[in-house]
Amino acid sequence: MGAKSFGHYQQISQCFDELVQADGQIRPPAAAIARFIDRHGSAELIQRQEQLNQTISAMGVCFTLYSDGNNIDRCWPLDVMPRTIPSSEWQKTSAGLKQRLAALNLFIDDLYHDQRILKDGIVPADLVLDSRNYLAPCKGISPRYGVWANICGTDLVRDGSGKFLVLEDNLRVPSGVSYMLENRTVMKRVFPELFADSFIYPVDDYPHQLWRMLASLSPRPGDVPCIVLLTPGVYNSAYFEHSFLAQQMGVELAENTDLLVQDDIVYLKTLHGLQRVDVIYRRVDDIFIDPQAFRPDSVLGIPGLIKAWAKGNVSIANAPGSGVADDKVIYAYVPEIINYYLGEQPLIDNVPTYLCLDPKQREYVLANLDQLVVKPANESGGYGILIGPRSTKEEQQQMAEAIKANPRNFIAQPTLALSTAPTLCDGVLEPRHLDLRPFILQGRDLYCTTGGLSRVALKKGSLVVNSSQGGGSKDTWIINDEV
Amino acid sequence: MLLKSLDHIFWLGRYLERLDDTARLINATSHLLIDSHKDSQFSWPLLLDVLGQNGAELLSQLPPSDLTVEQQVMGFLITDADSEVSIRSACSALKQNARTVRQLIPRDMWEELNSLDLFLQEHCQQLQGRQHRYRLMTEVSRRCQMVVGVLDGTMLRSDAFDLFNIGRHVERADMTTRIMDVMVLQQLQPTDIKRPRFRWTSILNALGGVESYHYYLAHQNTEVDAVDYLLTYADFPRSLAYCLHRVAASAKALPHSAAILQRVWQLQDLLKTQNLSELTTGQLHQLIDQFQTGIIELHQVISTPKLEFSADLSQQMSA
Repeated sequence: MGAKSFGHYQQISQCFDELVQADGQIRPPAAAIARFIDRHGSAELIQRQEQLNQTISAMGVCFTLYSDGNNIDRCWPLDVMPRTIPSSEWQKTSAGLKQRLAALNLFIDDLYHDQRILKDGIVPADLVLDSRNYLAPCKGISPRYGVWANICGTDLVRDGSGKFLVLEDNLRVPSGVSYMLENRTVMKRVFPELFADSFIYPVDDYPHQLWRMLASLSPRPGDVPCIVLLTPGVYNSAYFEHSFLAQQMGVELAENTDLLVQDDIVYLKTLHGLQRVDVIYRRVDDIFIDPQAFRPDSVLGIPGLIKAWAKGNVSIANAPGSGVADDKVIYAYVPEIINYYLGEQPLIDNVPTYLCLDPKQREYVLANLDQLVVKPANESGGYGILIGPRSTKEEQQQMAEAIKANPRNFIAQPTLALSTAPTLCDGVLEPRHLDLRPFILQGRDLYCTTGGLSRVALKKGSLVVNSSQGGGSKDTWIINDEV
Repeated sequence: MLLKSLDHIFWLGRYLERLDDTARLINATSHLLIDSHKDSQFSWPLLLDVLGQNGAELLSQLPPSDLTVEQQVMGFLITDADSEVSIRSACSALKQNARTVRQLIPRDMWEELNSLDLFLQEHCQQLQGRQHRYRLMTEVSRRCQMVVGVLDGTMLRSDAFDLFNIGRHVERADMTTRIMDVMVLQQLQPTDIKRPRFRWTSILNALGGVESYHYYLAHQNTEVDAVDYLLTYADFPRSLAYCLHRVAASAKALPHSAAILQRVWQLQDLLKTQNLSELTTGQLHQLIDQFQTGIIELHQVISTPKLEFSADLSQQMSA
């Protein structure tokens, strides 16, 4: 049965649809967009999509792809159909996200100090201490408020029943928030009437919240803090986001050569001489940040930065070493971690996860490779993943070898029936799978974005949402249902 | 502002102005051609020469084709992305610099720059007939003005704003003298007679200065012409005198303002000490050369402030 208002829209069985109920009725938060389509027809929708594409190109919203050794700027793909979520549900979800980040930060701080959780046997010690993300030089350092991961992008998915689950925690240099902000700006220009019609929560306070959080980390409270955003440079694939956030926050966008350390103080080379830096929002991987501390071959680093940070003369967000909790094996322990530090049950569950390092679980994984999604513990961007039901025997065989060779490096999860939303594909609304990446900030306070970046797999049946691999995006509307 | 950004924001101003002025140069000379008699010696490669290229050599390297010399020159000036002096290459350079200093420029201006780039990519791919070209060049100028207008209405008054304006006016001074050079070279006399009166309405038209030129003429006691007007009349925003004035005014808050001002004064002195009406066309051409050399030196002084970061830190901090 096709959903009313969405033409002959056919849901995928077993999948939760964000806009349409199982019985074909439109979900209440999507009522306004359904009315719009009823009134104007799908031809108008197609026209708005074109208008939207033009707006994105005029606004210069792009991302950079590496291809054949070249960097190519591509226009950011945004689907004209929004994804809607009722605010009552979002309230609970955002509380769960904050709970999770608070616990993860207590965990990281513990790992670099007393390691109580390892001593108490909740998390196996070798799992942490042998991880390449555990940076020994960070031991004993106390970032402000004991918070290491100040900016977190948590990937959420829904299961077949519609329940949100955490798919992964991105605690290193999570990206995408600029697209969340730009998606909204574009949608407001393209659908002014819809925004006038419904109570959609705004998202545009994020840059200010980010600035406030960074300012709260300043080692010289009371003074106007000097905050810089550290970028690997104009050729980085996320440079658009770096320059966008620097502009939105009104802070300097620096590369490593714009900074220097003298007497354990970090300075910025400005037009008027050196200026002391209080907070660095780094978008460079931590192991590249200081050749004296980590990778001596790093050309992106600032010699002496880690020493200045260890002395408390500068704050770095995210703190170096916070990646230790961004590991898909550690991920499996997060429910226990929340319970251990906060004495609470997780408000958002994990996706069930099998650890290949456990012989019993490994056996199960190897026997069910055609059913499971297998992920390397330390990759991002959707690389190195095996999606069992869509893989060949040969790919499964290769993965089995890789798992046996290095079991610590792999986890497996059941293939989820990811939720879908109506997406304009070749002029017709079709269901496409999607996820959601909200951004959570922790400094003195905790903050969670209103919604987040919805990423959608544009290929029919695909579960891969990464923009580098043909994924698109949707604006995420948190709609007030608590009047 | 980062020290590194100085060059980018300065060049942003220069390239934006270069786009505008190249479009004006093209329209001015097309007008000149329309105004000239059939047997005039007007030579298109001259346009490449005044932009610092070797016109004859560039043209001789082109593969044989049905294109007229005019079309070939317009290829170098408009459509050829690899040509140093083309509108397309100026626009890519503009975009590249804007990308690098995006954090310093307001969103509205960023969007104007983007739509300027999209417009040029769409319309400056292929050579067009004269009539279409005229409209296209007018549109390029108009869009450049829109970027400046948006910036003026939204950008913080900061070092970046000052440097952008300095870049614009250095480039404009440079291009005004180059456009004048076309005029002068066209009239270059074999004998050293006193320079003829220059009355090129078409050039003044392209520079948007016809009416104010007439106003100028009506308010001068002595015999003057377009050369005096374009060099010395500080009330006209495309004159050399005005550009120098603007550079000086915008440089005041910069750390190396003293060095910049010194260069500006040298150029202003050069304007004052010359008795323009006594010059032959040959001498005039030489004077324009001198200005152009001075402008290059001015550029160097602007883009290289002498700051030593590793030296005495405490001194730096108190400065």
